[in-house]
Amino acid sequence: MAHKIKMAARTLDFYYGSFKALHDITLEIRENQVTALIGPSGCGKSTFLRCLNRMNDLIPGTRVDGELTLDGLNIHAPEVDVVDLRRRVGMVFQKPNPFPKTVFENVAYGLRVNGVRDNAYIAQQVEKSLRDAALFDEVKDRMYDSALGLSGGQQQRLCIARALAVAPDVVLMDEPASALDPIATQKIEELIHELKKRFTIIIVTHSMQQAARVSDMTAFFYMGKLVETDNTETIFTRPSNKQTEDYITGRFG
Amino acid sequence: MDGRSHFHAELELLTDKLLRMAGLARKALEDSLRAFSGCDAALAREVIDRDAEINRMECELDETSLRLLALEQPVALDLRRVVGGMRMTIDLERVGDEALHIAERAIFLAQLPPAPMSARLDELAFRVSEMLDKAISAFHAGDMDLANEVCRMEAGISDLNVLVLKDALRMVEQSSCTSQALERSMHEVIAGRSLERIGDKAGNIAETTIFMVKGVSIKHRCRPF
Repeated sequence: MAHKIKMAARTLDFYYGSFKALHDITLEIRENQVTALIGPSGCGKSTFLRCLNRMNDLIPGTRVDGELTLDGLNIHAPEVDVVDLRRRVGMVFQKPNPFPKTVFENVAYGLRVNGVRDNAYIAQQVEKSLRDAALFDEVKDRMYDSALGLSGGQQQRLCIARALAVAPDVVLMDEPASALDPIATQKIEELIHELKKRFTIIIVTHSMQQAARVSDMTAFFYMGKLVETDNTETIFTRPSNKQTEDYITGRFG
Repeated sequence: MDGRSHFHAELELLTDKLLRMAGLARKALEDSLRAFSGCDAALAREVIDRDAEINRMECELDETSLRLLALEQPVALDLRRVVGGMRMTIDLERVGDEALHIAERAIFLAQLPPAPMSARLDELAFRVSEMLDKAISAFHAGDMDLANEVCRMEAGISDLNVLVLKDALRMVEQSSCTSQALERSMHEVIAGRSLERIGDKAGNIAETTIFMVKGVSIKHRCRPF
C-alpha cells in the first residue's frame, strides 16, 4: 500500500555555528504512521526532530541547508508563518512542562493564543483534547485545580492534550516517556497507538523496545547521518546495515 | 566496544550447547546404525539409555532461550539466534528419538539369524548421515552454500526411502519369503522411515541456519535462495 508522505527532508544539512550536526538527511515521514528516530546520544535525532517545526530557529547561530516539506510545501519558504507551522507540527517534550495554571487553562492556552474567543467552543475542544489524550476521566473533577498537582504521567498526557487542542497534523515527541514510570509509560504508548489514526507522529526515544513497540517506521541516526530507515519490523529482525545491527544489538556504544 | 558482552557471552554458550546436543544426536544416529547393521543389542540399548541426555539438553536449552527472550529482549541477529536455536533444539531432539527407534529395531534384529543390511537401506543410512553431518557443519560455520546443499539433498532421501519400501514389498511377494525374512524386512522399512525423518530434520536444521544468518525463511519450500 502506498503511503502519503506528510513530511520530507531532502539533502538536509544542519549547523550549530560551524559544527555540522546533520549531514545530507533524506527521509520521508508517512502520514498517520509513527516514525521512531533512534541512535546514540549526540547522533542528531533530536536536532532533526526540532528541525521539523523549526524549533532550532530559536537557537542563535544555527543554519539549515536542503529542504524540509510539510504536505509538499517547503517549511523554510519566506511566506511560512512559523507560529502556524508550530500549530500544525506540535511538540511534546521529555519532561512534562505544564504551565502553572489550571488543567483547563493548560489545554485552552493554545486556542486562546490562536485567537479563539468562543468560550463554549474552547470548553468543547478542551474536553475533546483531554479525551483524545486519555486523561479526561482522571481530571474531569479537577479541571480548575492546578495542573502541577497531577502525577508525572498525567502531566505528560496533559501536555499531549495541550498539543492536540490546536488540531495539529503532526506531533513530535522527544523522549515523551523517559521521565515516567512503567505504568505511565504504558499509557503513553497506548495513546500513541490511538493517536496515529488521526495524527502523524514522530518520536525520539532512547528505548529500543519502545521504538519497536510503538512505531511503524524506524530511522537510525549515527554521527549526524541517517544510516538506515525501514519498517520497524525489518529494522528489529533483519536490518540491512551492519551499523544498525551493531547498535540495536548493543555491539557498540 | 560491546555494550552487551554478558548477553553475547550467553549467546555463545547457547551455541556451544546446541553443538554439543547436535554431537549427541549425531552419535546416537551413528551408533543406532552400527547396532542395526551389526545386530548389536548391547549398543542399541546404550543408544536408548543415552537418549535421556538429549532430552535433558532440550529442556535446558529451552529454559535458557526463554530466559534470554524474557530478560534480554534480543533483536535482529541475536533474536534470530535465540529463535533459531529453539527450532534447532526441537529438530535435534527428534533426531535422537528416531535414532532410538532404529536402535529398538536393532534389538529385534539381534534376535534373528545374522544377515547383512539391504544395500538400499545401507545407502539411505550413508546419505542421511552425510546430510546430518553437513547440516551441523553448516550451522557451526554459518555456511550458506553447505546449508543450501543440504536442502537440495532432501528430495533424494525421500526417493531412496520409497525404493527401500518397494524392495521390501517385492521381497514379501516372493513365494520363498520366510517369516524371518519378512520380519527383517519389516524392521528395515521402519528403520528407513526413521532415516527419512532424520533427513527431514537435517533439512530443517539447514533452513534454520539460513534463517539465523540471513533472516530469510525458506521453510516448506527448502530451495536455495
